[in-house]
Amino acid sequence: MLAIQLAIKNLLGAGLRTWLNVAVLSFAFVVIVFYNGMLDGWNRQALKDTREWEVGNGQLWHPAYDRYDPFSLQEAHAPLSGEVVSLVQRKQLTPVLITQASAYPKGRMINIVLKGIDPDQQMLKLPTSLLKEDSGEIPALIGKRMAQSARLKTGDKVLVRWRDKNGTFDAREIHIAGVFDANVPSVDNGQFWIPLGNLQQMTGMENEATLLVAANTHTVQKTGIWEARDLDFLLKEFNEIMDSKKGSSKVIYFLLLAIALLAIFDTQVLSVFRRQKEIGTYIALGMTRAEVVRIFTVEGSAHSFLALLLGALYGIPFLAYLAKTGIPMPKSAGEAGIAISDSIIPVYSAGMVVTTILLVVITATVVSYFPARRISSMKPTEALKGKIQ
Amino acid sequence: MEKPIVQIDNLTKRFPVGNSEFTALSHLSLTIDKGEFMGLVGPSGSGKTTLLNIIGSLDTPTEGSVEVMGQSIATLTHKQAAILRNYHIGFIFQSYNLLPVYTVFENVEFALLLQNLSADERKKWVMQALEWVGLTDKAKSKPSQLSGGESQRVSIARAMVKRPQLVLADEPSANLDARNSHHIVQTMKKLNKELHTTFIFSTHDEKVMQYLDRIVSLKDGMVEKDEAVLHIQN
Ligand SMILES: Nc1ncnc2c1ncn2[C@@H]1O[C@H](COP(=O)(O)OP(=O)(O)OP(=O)(O)O)[C@@H](O)[C@H]1O
Ligand SMILES: [Mg+2]
Repeated sequence: MLAIQLAIKNLLGAGLRTWLNVAVLSFAFVVIVFYNGMLDGWNRQALKDTREWEVGNGQLWHPAYDRYDPFSLQEAHAPLSGEVVSLVQRKQLTPVLITQASAYPKGRMINIVLKGIDPDQQMLKLPTSLLKEDSGEIPALIGKRMAQSARLKTGDKVLVRWRDKNGTFDAREIHIAGVFDANVPSVDNGQFWIPLGNLQQMTGMENEATLLVAANTHTVQKTGIWEARDLDFLLKEFNEIMDSKKGSSKVIYFLLLAIALLAIFDTQVLSVFRRQKEIGTYIALGMTRAEVVRIFTVEGSAHSFLALLLGALYGIPFLAYLAKTGIPMPKSAGEAGIAISDSIIPVYSAGMVVTTILLVVITATVVSYFPARRISSMKPTEALKGKIQ
Repeated sequence: MEKPIVQIDNLTKRFPVGNSEFTALSHLSLTIDKGEFMGLVGPSGSGKTTLLNIIGSLDTPTEGSVEVMGQSIATLTHKQAAILRNYHIGFIFQSYNLLPVYTVFENVEFALLLQNLSADERKKWVMQALEWVGLTDKAKSKPSQLSGGESQRVSIARAMVKRPQLVLADEPSANLDARNSHHIVQTMKKLNKELHTTFIFSTHDEKVMQYLDRIVSLKDGMVEKDEAVLHIQN
């Protein structure tokens, strides 16, 4: 208690220098909370979007299916067995059939995958009800990225060529029934979504699917030949990307924190050196050297308390404002291959804030302690002489 | 007969200098009784400060024994030495050594903060001490706003506030003019009379010496002369 009182008094007595240190440290503190809040917010939003648009509550895969190898699609399809059919009927699963194809928008050729999905499904956010139009043509849904890269829009017609299950080429004009806007690039890039029935017919794969998406009420488990792919598996890459984003942002804020800590360290070294006479006086007045070490350590670490106060003063309004308006994200961020919206609502969890506070306080205490520890090897008589005032 | 407050027998203090040693105090013996108002004099380098530091448990003897209030300085732990200084020894320094960020009141209070006293008690004692030195009106000033004489009076108040048995004053008047020198020594003499505090000075100052009851002259770390001073009362 005494040490804290003395520390605060000494710190405030040191004036400008203290406030510079405190300002830098508070800035590091706010930036760390900001970054973590942004990443947590992004993570949460991306996870939600990815589940709603793509992976559902897990999937069942044809054993030959490999999402990174388009050539696996030739083999990766099979008829739905009785057990699976009943789950589909009970709306616990929705089948998706996938096949490679080429499209010829405005005479160019692009490689695409055709994905057949039930227009009545409601497990994924894809607006498949648009596929229910009855114009005699095969309707397709594409994402805004696909629309942009192929320069297609709703109402356009485009020639699509594919192979049926015997390897024979066939071609037809497909009608773009709608362009959806999803934050999840992996349901968008290079894909045409068409009614499952149409695709089964086009390929001759009646009643077949490549994978099935599970509803939130269904927990996937191996069913017949179908391999269960749970969220851990499906989101592995997602989590890896998130982790690497966290890693790279850590570099930024550890650098900032390091600068702030260096300033405190420097102040402490200088204090111990310049205030020898004061140290000697404390000892003459009846403190042990260990107690003086404690005063100086507390004094250095008290920077962090002031920094937390100051950081709260401008950080809370700032971070609260961002939580309200969201953080605008650059367009290019979506190309990282992970779901991202135009603006991210940061999430500041209590755990994250507490961890950050502890990080700041503990590191400030450590860098304060090491210079202060020198006091314990000082001779009181030498300190009192105070070679330098 | 009461036990002496300081009992020094055959004290030698050597400092390492380079690869050899320098003998600052050599086979020195001295007995100081409770309530004395005495001074160490002698040329620069004769060992006055060294001796005061050892009596004040800020340093330790190389050889010989030093007992202060019955405790052997050589065998005290850091904690025990700190307690001895905190409760029983007051220091007064040539350069005052006030803590610059504290007010006069807080500087004096500091010595009491280490003891378990209530805020009310501390306040009472601090104001009393400031009254002894005539500085009650400066309680809220910062050291930087005080004159040299006032600063030294604050440091006397700080040394006296805990009513120690022993006060060690190392050249307390060296930075003061004649008028202030007289003033502070008179203040200390008064406290010596009223509270029976033992005072040990180190000084070159004739103005201080004239108030002392006993003068011990040191030379090359040894006692050269030890004489009682008779004051002619008039
Ligand atoms: N830490 C030390 N290391 C080496 N020598 C020292 C040390 N402290 C004191 N001395 C030496 O011991 C001798 C006595 O020093 P001390 O400070 O006690 O003298 P003093 O009588 O107080 O002198 P002054 O009147 O100048 O204050 C001096 O020669 C000094 O150089
Ligand atoms: Mg000296």
